Amino acid sequence: MRSIQRRLSLGLISVMVIVGLVLAQTSLWLFEVGLQRYLEAGLRNDSESLLVALVRGPQGLQLDERHLSPAYQRPFSGHYFRIDFSDSHWRSRSLWDQDLPLLDHPGLHSNLQLGPGGQRLLILRSDYRRLGQSISISVAQDYTPVSDSFQRMRQIGLGLGLAALLLILFLQRLTVRRALKPLERAREQIAQLQQGQRSQLDDQVPVELEPLVAQINHLLAHTEDSLKRSRNALGNLGHALKTPLAVLLSLASSDKLDDHPELRRILKEQLEQVQQRLNRELNRARLSGDALPGALFDCDAELPGLLATLNMIHGEHLALSYVAPPGLQLPWDREDLLELLGNLLDNACKWADAEVRLSVIERSDGFALSVEDDGPGIPEEQRAQVFSRGTRLDEQTHGHGLGLGIVRDIVDTWGGLLVLGESKWGGLKVVIELPRR
Amino acid sequence: MRLLLVEDHVPLADELLAGLQRQGYAVDWLADGRDAVYQGSSEPYDLIILDLGLPGVPGLDVLAQWRAAGLAIPVLILTARDSWAERIEGLKAGADDYLTKPFHPEELFLRIQSLLRRSKGQSNQPTLQAAGLHLDEGRQCVVRDGADIQLTAAEFRLLRYFMLHPEQILSKSHLAEHLYDGETERDSNVLEVHVNHLRRKLGKSVIETRRGQGYLFGGQAS
Repeated sequence: MRSIQRRLSLGLISVMVIVGLVLAQTSLWLFEVGLQRYLEAGLRNDSESLLVALVRGPQGLQLDERHLSPAYQRPFSGHYFRIDFSDSHWRSRSLWDQDLPLLDHPGLHSNLQLGPGGQRLLILRSDYRRLGQSISISVAQDYTPVSDSFQRMRQIGLGLGLAALLLILFLQRLTVRRALKPLERAREQIAQLQQGQRSQLDDQVPVELEPLVAQINHLLAHTEDSLKRSRNALGNLGHALKTPLAVLLSLASSDKLDDHPELRRILKEQLEQVQQRLNRELNRARLSGDALPGALFDCDAELPGLLATLNMIHGEHLALSYVAPPGLQLPWDREDLLELLGNLLDNACKWADAEVRLSVIERSDGFALSVEDDGPGIPEEQRAQVFSRGTRLDEQTHGHGLGLGIVRDIVDTWGGLLVLGESKWGGLKVVIELPRR
Repeated sequence: MRLLLVEDHVPLADELLAGLQRQGYAVDWLADGRDAVYQGSSEPYDLIILDLGLPGVPGLDVLAQWRAAGLAIPVLILTARDSWAERIEGLKAGADDYLTKPFHPEELFLRIQSLLRRSKGQSNQPTLQAAGLHLDEGRQCVVRDGADIQLTAAEFRLLRYFMLHPEQILSKSHLAEHLYDGETERDSNVLEVHVNHLRRKLGKSVIETRRGQGYLFGGQAS
């Protein structure tokens, strides 16, 4: 989709150019027509003066020189005449060697070229009857200075129009930019939303944007709310199922079943299967997945608590540490990330002798989380096996395998990559590469 | 050792009560959060097992109220809510351990055992050691110089309490409070009988009597 700013500019330019050209051309034409009308009146006057100057002389009709304007005497003065009789015609002296053609019919004509100067003439032919003869008088005037100044006027007008167009465009750009500023701000805020730097759009926006922003905010709140509700419901479901399961597990190991070892074995086996399935599916259902995070993961705020919890569970003899750029916030849901890191670290703690380290590295294209321990590690040829057997290894030996099932689910929904390697202490190193959102 | 179990699911509470009593613990049971807030801080428990989904007051609030009132007893949280976010919340509220349902009863017993030792400043080893004695809590017998000495349930409970509090003077009323649950008749004569039985099995010097003060375990051995 093209930008609104460009569209507005383009629309405005085309409208202004078309309207400007039509307007300028029309007004010039009207002006020229008016001017010719005015000049025509002058020419008619000249032609009538000539008519008056025609007097009866000794050899018939002759021109009374005294009544003639001096401009008719000077060659190429710009004022010319031609008087046609039925059998002959007279030309003004100013025509010199040129010939002024006789027009086909009376009236005003323009655009006639004449003489070495290429003068453009405006000619008026009028027919009269005088002294018993029909006389046709054509009077001409040089139109070149007028049309030259017209040309100049047109150029000046064009220049002025162009300048006005540029000025208007500039002002329009300014106005549009100002008017679109709230849109631009909303765009920035949505970008921040995606990076998880904010959880709501600013609702101080113009009336036109209000419904949009309100709707987005409503959707965000709704997503967060329904996530919270579904997590709560899953928690309740888990509670409702797991407590009776705990009773059954406890019963299965009570001494009442001492006489039925086979029964006890089957009971325990089946209950454990139910338990693993339940845990896995409930955990998976809790994930917020790709939804925009309501609460961000603030490394400095969350990691110490997580490590302290792990120390509590696995004992104080483990040295748990983390390395993360100060103030780093990861743009994923807090609970999902806690689940991811909790399971990874928990697994590392199960195998570690004394040391577990979590590193969070920010890269240009995303983040890398790595968890290292100083335990026995996994030989290289078996690392691939962990993957090829999928989640089975994890599900078969709950609590003793790699807690990778839920970790894999989370990494997959985020489009990340999970790599197993060897830590610098010889133990296992799990690296998770997450692309930026 | 006297424990408080706060769990509203009756069948599970029944199972746990039976199991814990088999392990030689005196256990009081409550099902309501409001009762737990009061009784947890008024009775001298050694450890509290707290379920989080409680009627009345939620488990985390109960715990927070105890900690706010300065109660330092170790608390083990028992819950079906097993996400890491919830575990961290539990720890922040002041829990000492976190066990998710469903669990194997043996795991709960091991956690309680290690939590009790940790809270009394003892290292977490397979057996409880004090004054040259090794107490095997799983088999409920004591080992001295490689020889097993069998104990009755009452003797085991008493010796375990002594071994978790070595070189401390323990009055008869203190012992009675920590060895019997709230419903058992406390008779100091019975205690004396058990102390005498222990002396007969382990040697007179193991438990000293301080007149007017109480008993001292392991005072000479150190």
